[in-house]
Amino acid sequence: MFRKVQRQGPAAGRVAGVSAELYDHRDRCAIVGIGATEFSKDSGRSTLTLAVEASLEAIGDAGLVPIDIDGIVRCDMDDVRTSDLIHTLGLDNISYLGENGPGGVAPAAMVGQAVAAILSGQATAVLVYRSLNGRSGRRYGAASQASDAPRVGGNGTYDEYWLPYGLQTPGQCFALMARRHMIDFGTTPDQLGRIPIACRNRANANPAAQMHGRPMGLDDYLGARMISDPLRLFDFCLETDGANALVVTTAERARDLPRPPALIRAVAQASLPDVQPGNFYSVLMRESLTTLPAAPVGRLLFERAGLGPDDIDVAQLYDCFSITVLLQLEDYGFCAKGEGGSFVADGSIELDGSIPINTAGGHLSEGYIHGMNHIVEGVRQIRGTSTNQVPGAETCLVTSTALPPGSALILRGDG
Amino acid sequence: MSEPEAPPLLPVTDDHDTGPLFEAAARGELVVRVCACGEVSHLPTSYCRRCGSSEGTWRPVSGRATLLSWTTVTHQLHPAFPTPYTIVLVSLEEHPQVHMFGQLAGTPDLTADQPMEVWFQQLAEDVAIPQWRPAG
Ligand SMILES: [Zn+2]
Repeated sequence: MFRKVQRQGPAAGRVAGVSAELYDHRDRCAIVGIGATEFSKDSGRSTLTLAVEASLEAIGDAGLVPIDIDGIVRCDMDDVRTSDLIHTLGLDNISYLGENGPGGVAPAAMVGQAVAAILSGQATAVLVYRSLNGRSGRRYGAASQASDAPRVGGNGTYDEYWLPYGLQTPGQCFALMARRHMIDFGTTPDQLGRIPIACRNRANANPAAQMHGRPMGLDDYLGARMISDPLRLFDFCLETDGANALVVTTAERARDLPRPPALIRAVAQASLPDVQPGNFYSVLMRESLTTLPAAPVGRLLFERAGLGPDDIDVAQLYDCFSITVLLQLEDYGFCAKGEGGSFVADGSIELDGSIPINTAGGHLSEGYIHGMNHIVEGVRQIRGTSTNQVPGAETCLVTSTALPPGSALILRGDG
Repeated sequence: MSEPEAPPLLPVTDDHDTGPLFEAAARGELVVRVCACGEVSHLPTSYCRRCGSSEGTWRPVSGRATLLSWTTVTHQLHPAFPTPYTIVLVSLEEHPQVHMFGQLAGTPDLTADQPMEVWFQQLAEDVAIPQWRPAG
């Protein structure tokens, strides 16, 4: 017989239980190096080769050499194992190895692990990487189950409760959430389209973006083929071959390195009280279809940072789909729940709006490195080197928040 | 709408935590897992997250529900599911927090929160699943 548990309602816990004072990490670490490969549809190279290129660039950008790296953090869905990189780069001084996930939830949480490793004395300079052949290799938008599988589900996946109904892809899952947002709040396709269009506008000023040189207006968006209604082709992110890497160290050491430090003001991970067991699609069993784990992540993050949504100058919001951005704008408090549609239609997310987003083009138009390219672009904004630089940007919110538990961080300049 | 190019995806029906739903479907009954404390567990877990008991039972429900959301899939991905088809997500009448999926052929006319009813689709000789359609 199990011990009886006393459940506290959803209102209890979170934030109330974890105080900013209990985790003193504010501005104590910084991202000091960033690296990126070309983003393409077919890299013609292994994921390890891509990870090596991005990592060497990040380490060099930080003014360090591989032997200086003593910690490494991997995303659980990466095909590159930590030992692959340690071996190939000659990282012979590794004393901390971390891993986080699932998938797109990882990047900010991976930086959080690097911070924790550094502040607890387990490492001094941590490499964080993400590498994938997301178009030419393993495609995350493909159907979840091979057609020749004898039976689907079991073993805690709960897949048996949805795969037999043809619910097979993340896009279909987000389409069901988008429909409910339209039902509850009157959100329209024209409004939703403003998100991919904003991302495309940014990509057209970023020569490294996959969709650079391909302008898109509302007619192009609405005229594109429907994939899983109400989501059309351009509501879906790109599939990308490429890699990104970061180097994290202490703020003190960062000030002696060549680049202006992007201080990690705060980082947070959080789950929901109603998170649900099982694979991915179980999120549709939650009471609310229109609130993401971004909501508790945002509350904890802002408390730890001592900041609020009004203090954020620019945001890189995880955009596996357009609707994911709309829900996060509400969940992070940039507008009220249900008002995301009119908020984006008013131009708020454009460069001259109240909260410019995804300034390199995001997953929708720059490339899909599973949330990691958002952190790289966040660092560029703090350095003042973005191709869509927000004038005077001092704070940048970066989210790695899709459906399961989420994570996010706030970067700020050392001014 | 074309014919499927692959046999249906059959669920694992004997999982410890989820199997009884399929056992009941095979005899034409919709059931949910209910704990002695009253907690309805869906997705079902043997351990009750509210009271800690593992003594739950599976109880019949009416098979009436309302339509929470739907999406018509028009991009072909899986040979067992020729497009277009429509995935529906319903909320049970007696236990609105219990959500279940169903599939309708083609592009049906649907309205938010409309009444839905269960039926049971025989996918194979020994496999039946609950399905949902507009209440008629
Ligand atoms: Zn109970």
